[in-house]
Amino acid sequence: MDRWFLIAATALAAVGGVIGMWSVHKGTRSPWTVIWMIAVFAAQLGFLSVRGEARGACPLIGLGEILVFLAWSLTFFYLAIGTTYRLSLLGVFTAPVVVVFQGVALIPGVLAADPQRVAGTNPWHETHAAMSVLSYGALALAAVAGVMFLVLDRQLKDHHLQSGLFRNLPPVRELLKSMVRLLWLGVVLLSIGVFAGFMMPREGGTAHLIAASAVWISYVGLLSIRQVRGLTGRRTALVAVLLFVGSLSVFALV
Amino acid sequence: MELVCVGLNHRTAPVEVRERFAVPAGKLGESAKQLLEIEGLGESVVLSTCNRTEFYLAGDHAEDAAATLRRILAESHGADSDPHWYEHHRMSAAKHLCRVVSGLDSMVLGETEIFGQAKEAYRQALDAGATAGVLNRLFQRAFGVGKKVRTDTRIQEGATSVAGASVELAEKIFGKLAGCRVIVIGAGEMSRQTAQALVSRGASSVFVTNRSFDKAEALAAEMGGRAVKFDEWQPVLAGVDVVISSTSAPHPVVLPHHIESVRRVRKFRPLFLIDIAVPRDIDPACGEIEEVYLYDIDTLEQLADEARARRQRQIAECDRIIDDELRKLNLPGT
Repeated sequence: MDRWFLIAATALAAVGGVIGMWSVHKGTRSPWTVIWMIAVFAAQLGFLSVRGEARGACPLIGLGEILVFLAWSLTFFYLAIGTTYRLSLLGVFTAPVVVVFQGVALIPGVLAADPQRVAGTNPWHETHAAMSVLSYGALALAAVAGVMFLVLDRQLKDHHLQSGLFRNLPPVRELLKSMVRLLWLGVVLLSIGVFAGFMMPREGGTAHLIAASAVWISYVGLLSIRQVRGLTGRRTALVAVLLFVGSLSVFALV
Repeated sequence: MELVCVGLNHRTAPVEVRERFAVPAGKLGESAKQLLEIEGLGESVVLSTCNRTEFYLAGDHAEDAAATLRRILAESHGADSDPHWYEHHRMSAAKHLCRVVSGLDSMVLGETEIFGQAKEAYRQALDAGATAGVLNRLFQRAFGVGKKVRTDTRIQEGATSVAGASVELAEKIFGKLAGCRVIVIGAGEMSRQTAQALVSRGASSVFVTNRSFDKAEALAAEMGGRAVKFDEWQPVLAGVDVVISSTSAPHPVVLPHHIESVRRVRKFRPLFLIDIAVPRDIDPACGEIEEVYLYDIDTLEQLADEARARRQRQIAECDRIIDDELRKLNLPGT
């Protein structure tokens, strides 16, 4: 049942993304992207509730569940931020990332076929896992906004202003604002996650926590430099994208 | 029942002819009412803008009334104007009104101002009691068609002037222009138009600098801004978002080191440079600075040309919508 929810969420995101991209290619903005993403969100909730019921805890055991939780978090922040700031095109850029995360989770062997009930949950552990993955949703969306910024910046610099994509992209300043706000939100959530990580009883090595702390320091560094010294939009966007891609390696250490 | 449109516009008559027939904005209803004294005429609307004067006439003998009207106009304003007048009858008159309201007959294709002007002309005629069944239905449908044309096609998409293209780009960079600060280097007509367009969209502070300080002060006063001496404009760069440069200097006025020196203070915020001077005022190397978006006159004119061409390609689609909508109307006199 849970797998079917996940397949449905992935298919809906793929269709929504393709329809959105087709609209952008034609020079119009599809009003349906947000509807598709709401459907994706509902299917993700279905998956997570079935898995959560089976686990008797937050479904964040193993790479598969983490990736789906991350995709859910990304979709959640898109629906909260994208619609608030009228960045409907953000959905067109978000959908492929959701498809990739969930597509990887669907690879046989990545998602535990028979989720076992978690014995003796620890609140610090739960907080660490949930907040960290939630923060990655915000940071992923910041990276998506960063990609959009880089595309628009290049088009404005090169005077390539006739594409449907250019017409539909939000203004440079709006993209930058959204990206920086998402980075702050991600860092705040990650701070809680890392703090809870230090508080929880640790089993095995500390490589995962060291990597998570390094990610946290990198993001705090980026925001501090931008806040204190200032940083061009292009560099902020580029670092936000590279940091997010690099920080995904933390999951390899889970 | 007959329907006729008698008029002259920017295509058929030069300004010295058009100005003789212009009807003051507040007297359109009164003029429409006066026209009803012509025998055979039951309804009329007078539309008068800087680019056209048109009389929409309906009645059992509106075609005869149109001939009488032209005779009266020739007698009162001079017979030499007669070749400049055009007439549209029945369906052609209805279609012409829809094209006018949709901006298809305007000097700037797709412009929106005419829609409001036609609405005001109709409102005054209605208030004066100069309209009835035929023109009421025709004008109301024409306004509906005008809205549909603008919604369903791309007839008003893209700016068709250098100033408009600059505003569109500024909005693509900054979003809403409220709070945007602008410096104008060189108080010429082109920079005035461009700065005015930015101010009309919300740009709040305008600094003007010019070699002749008097001119800078005059333009600054017009814009509600502040004049800056020509040797003091560089520090102002730190606080502005848009630079419009249009001096007659034979060499670049804005150089990369001017921008480099204020980047830290600006915290690397986006900076939009508009160079509308020939020879160019802004060193092209400024465009290589990361947060700078540089556009020169050729690029802006090219953008305006492309928008005009795009609008031209929409005309056939607009005409198809107008024909479809008028067919549904089934108006007496057409």
